[in-house]
Amino acid sequence: MDNLHWESFVYAIVAFLILYLLLNKYAFGPLFGIMEKRRLLVKEQMDNAEKNRQESEKFLEEQKQALQQARKEAYEIIEQAKTTGSKQADEIVQAARGEANRLKDEAVREIESEKNKAVASVKAQVSGLSVLIASKIIEKQVDEKTQSELVDKYLQEVGTKS
Amino acid sequence: MHEFPVLEVAGLHIDVSAFIAITVSAIITFVLARLAVRKLSVDNPSKLQNFMEWVVEFVHSTIASTMPMKRVRPFLALGMTLIMFIFVSNLLGLPFGIVTEHHHTSSFVTQEMLDKHHGEVELAWWKSPTADLNVTGGLALIVFILVHFLGLKMNRKHYIKHYFQPFWFFFPLNLIETIAKPVTLALRLYANIFAGEVLIATILMLGVVGTPFMIVWQGFSIFVGAIQAFLFTILTMVYISQAAIHDEEEHAH
Repeated sequence: MDNLHWESFVYAIVAFLILYLLLNKYAFGPLFGIMEKRRLLVKEQMDNAEKNRQESEKFLEEQKQALQQARKEAYEIIEQAKTTGSKQADEIVQAARGEANRLKDEAVREIESEKNKAVASVKAQVSGLSVLIASKIIEKQVDEKTQSELVDKYLQEVGTKS
Repeated sequence: MHEFPVLEVAGLHIDVSAFIAITVSAIITFVLARLAVRKLSVDNPSKLQNFMEWVVEFVHSTIASTMPMKRVRPFLALGMTLIMFIFVSNLLGLPFGIVTEHHHTSSFVTQEMLDKHHGEVELAWWKSPTADLNVTGGLALIVFILVHFLGLKMNRKHYIKHYFQPFWFFFPLNLIETIAKPVTLALRLYANIFAGEVLIATILMLGVVGTPFMIVWQGFSIFVGAIQAFLFTILTMVYISQAAIHDEEEHAH
C-alpha cells in the first residue's frame, strides 16, 4: 500500500500518549476522585444508618423496659393503696363502732344514775310527804314507831313498782 | 478512490488528513472529557457527569471481569482513554467529507498521481483516524509494548514461562500468537472503519437514490464504531490481564 507512513504511525502514538496524560490529569483524576468520594460517602451513610438503627433498637428496648417497670410500679402502688384503704376503712369503722359503744354505755350509765337520783329524791320526798300527810291525817292516833313501819312498807311497794 | 494529501517536509512524508484527523479526534475527546468533569459534584452530578460515570463503570466492569478488582485502578484511565478516543475517531469520518479536486501538480499532487487518475486527482482531507492503518497500528503498538512491559515487570517468571507452555517446542506457536494479537487488534479496527468509509464513498456515487442507504449505513457505522471501540478496549484489558496478572487459580497448577 502506498499510504503507509511511519510519520502518521509515530504521530498517532505520540498524540495518544499526550491525550492519555492530559485526560489522566485533567479529566479522569478528578472524576475518579469524585467517584471515590461518593463511594466513601455512601459507605459512611450506610454505616451511620446501621449505627442509628442499632441505637434506636437499643432505645426501644430501654423504653420497653422502662414501660414495663412503670407498669409494675403502678400496679404495686395501686395494690398498696387498696390495702391501705381497706385497712383504714376497717380502722375507721372500728373506731366509729367503739365510739358508738362508748356513747351508748355512757348514755345508759347516765340514764341509770339519773333514774337512781330521781328515785332517791322521789323516795325522800315521798317519805317526807307521807310522813307529813300521815302525821297530818292521823296525827296522834299512831305512834311514831308504827308510823315509820307503815311508811317503810309503802316505800317498799313504791320501790318495787317503779 | 480518493488519494490522501501527503506533505513532504524535510524528508518526512506527512499524511495531512491523518494528522488532522488524529489531532481533531484527540481535541474532541479531551474537550468532551473536560466538559463532563467541569462541574464535578459528589451528591448532585450533572447529566454529562452521570454519563461519564456510567462510561467509567462500564469500562470498570469490563476490566474487572478480566482481572482482579484491586489491580484495575491503573488501567481504568487507559481503558477510558482508549474507548473514548477510538469511539470519537470512529465517528469522526461519518458526518461529512472534505474532498478537493486537483488538475495540476502542487505540493500535494505529484505527476505520478495525475497520470494514475487521468489528470484529475481527488484529495480527501477528512477521514476517521482509525480508517488509517498507521493510526490503529500505533494504538496496537502501545498496547503491545504495555502488555509485555507489564508482563515483565509485574509477573516476570510466569510471563516468560508462558511462552514454553504447555511444552517447550510450543515456543514458535506462542510467539506467533504474541505477534498476532496486536496485528489483529490493529487490522480489525482499521478494516471495520475503513470499510465503512469506503461504503459511504460508494453510496455517495449513487447520488440522491442512495439517501436511504446512506441513512441506514450511517446508523450502522455508529453502531460498528461503538462496538469496535469497546472491542479494542476489552481486548487490550484481556491481554494486559493475561500477561500481567498471575491468577490465584493458576497458583494451584
